[in-house]
Amino acid sequence: MVSLLFVLLFVYAAVSKLLDFKTFQIQLGQATLLRPVAGWLSWVVVVTELLIASLLCFVKTRLLGLYMSLFLMILFTVYIVIILNSAANTPCSCGGVLQALGWKDHLIFNSFFFLIALIGILIQRKQKYNLN
Amino acid sequence: MKTKVFKFILPLLVIVMAVSFAFATNSTSDNQIAHYFDPLFGWQSVVIGDECGPVGENACEFMGKQLYSQPTTESIALRKD
Repeated sequence: MVSLLFVLLFVYAAVSKLLDFKTFQIQLGQATLLRPVAGWLSWVVVVTELLIASLLCFVKTRLLGLYMSLFLMILFTVYIVIILNSAANTPCSCGGVLQALGWKDHLIFNSFFFLIALIGILIQRKQKYNLN
Repeated sequence: MKTKVFKFILPLLVIVMAVSFAFATNSTSDNQIAHYFDPLFGWQSVVIGDECGPVGENACEFMGKQLYSQPTTESIALRKD
């Protein structure tokens, strides 16, 4: 169930970004820190989200997918903290309705998914341990 | 057998649902692209909300720089109320 929630989140976020890819790239470039790498980073983010979503779909790769989800959530949260501490009015480059969230709401949203990923990892590890 | 079908069908359904949601919410964005001149990097693009337009009392700026509708100073200088 946890992995399906992440599949929903990552596929939704990736497809939303692809549907308005030009805007996504510009928004990434608006963060001064990311401006020089916005071009290729925009592709890396989308491909990573789709890759993690596909890893989560299969039992054999689910645990790896959950670890990668946790890692991605940490990266996104660090990015939000940097944005919150910078003076620039940087818009969220999250795609779809997620864009409507403020940065502080996003921090709460990410913390929720961070916890969900942790719970998922614990459940998966327990299941693997029980099978062995 | 039933479980195997369930395990295969469920993620597929979720993916279809996510793609549908993405298409359904795509048109809700009110963002527009504006441009400003940076002395160091040249013309830069920014995504702004719908508060900026051709008329208004105040200049629409990004980090203190005037925003334009196109990457040229001859285009519309965006303003807001």
